[in-house]
Amino acid sequence: MAQNMKAVKLRMKSIQSTRQITNAMGLVAASKLRKAKDKADAALPAFKILRRTLNNIADSNKDFTSPYTRPGRSGKWCFAVIAGDRGLAGGYNANLFRYVAARTEGKDCVFLPIGNKAVEYYTKRGAAMADRQFSEAADISISECFDIARYLCEKFKEGEFGHIALCYTEFENMLTMKTKDIPVLPLSDFAGEQDEDEETVRRIIEYKPGPEEVFNAIVPEYVSNIVYSAVCESLASELAARRNAMDAATKNAEEILEKLELSYNRARQASITQEITEIVAGASD
Amino acid sequence: MANTFQLRVVSLDGVQFTGAVQSVSCRAIDGDLAILAQHRNYITAVGMGTAVIVTEDGTEKRAACIGGMLSMIDNQCSLIVTTWEWDSEIDVDRAERAKERAEDALRDLNISEKDYKLASARLRRALVRLNTAG
Repeated sequence: MAQNMKAVKLRMKSIQSTRQITNAMGLVAASKLRKAKDKADAALPAFKILRRTLNNIADSNKDFTSPYTRPGRSGKWCFAVIAGDRGLAGGYNANLFRYVAARTEGKDCVFLPIGNKAVEYYTKRGAAMADRQFSEAADISISECFDIARYLCEKFKEGEFGHIALCYTEFENMLTMKTKDIPVLPLSDFAGEQDEDEETVRRIIEYKPGPEEVFNAIVPEYVSNIVYSAVCESLASELAARRNAMDAATKNAEEILEKLELSYNRARQASITQEITEIVAGASD
Repeated sequence: MANTFQLRVVSLDGVQFTGAVQSVSCRAIDGDLAILAQHRNYITAVGMGTAVIVTEDGTEKRAACIGGMLSMIDNQCSLIVTTWEWDSEIDVDRAERAKERAEDALRDLNISEKDYKLASARLRRALVRLNTAG
């Protein structure tokens, strides 16, 4: 009995320290989340407006061609996959990879993993990767996003990829995160998707110095903008997912502790009863 | 008012400005330009330079504006930029230090092409900031 009690006590101790860790991780994620959320919120309007503007341009202009508006020459897809740097975030990474796998099925594609977990995942799988240097999603800077964007645009212009899409996790609220993919290049890939409340008017727009030059200057900017916003969103989602996972783990630890406490008390009671029985039995002799 | 138009300045750090303005000027990739009300539909790419906004009541606001695009469509102007710093927000000491560091780097004759590009971009940004602030 005493041995049983000791074992239960030991388990309780180990669970208590695990609870402490998960609790701390949850708190850290929650405080980081606030910062990440602010960053994601700040980047959102620029992203939306830029996308709408480019949408308009792509829609109302059929009279010029830029290498970015033409449908890609090759059938190859490039998927930039933005995942987390670390695990222990519930289904965050796994959901994303499952989603990407479903989206890329049957397509000839190359991956550009962003975030340590994505790099690991595609390395393990031996998938074709464009570049694996972007293994830090957490503190990606705008200039790094520019590097990614320049790289993608370059490859697109060279014709190595025919389509470029971005997979990330959209942060909706603390409890819902949505895995999403958005087409990035060519611009004709998303020319059709219009906001419903916005009428499509074909406008005559003047491009200075010329449509080609404008596009060539703006598109890398736009791509880096998308990448940056998506990374911010993903980061917020990752932290929210981690916070939720850690909350659940802490709650679970508490439940187990409660059960163990009960069985510990029961064991203690049993050993006391046994002792009394033994004493009484000894006394009556 | 007929001679004003709506301007919206958005950077990656959030919406920087919205409101009616008389004019906005900035540096595009092919030189300085200013937009007034009723400008024809116009799109250009923005380079690095000082942007000046003249608001409805005639006050002038200056900012260091780096990279992005300007679109004027149906008398609604959007300036979407990578970074946008109002002159009051610019840390002059920091820009000064960045300028010196970049100049030091450029003095080195054995600099690699990539570093050269990086340093000269830094120098240009620092100069834009200093010009805007001073």
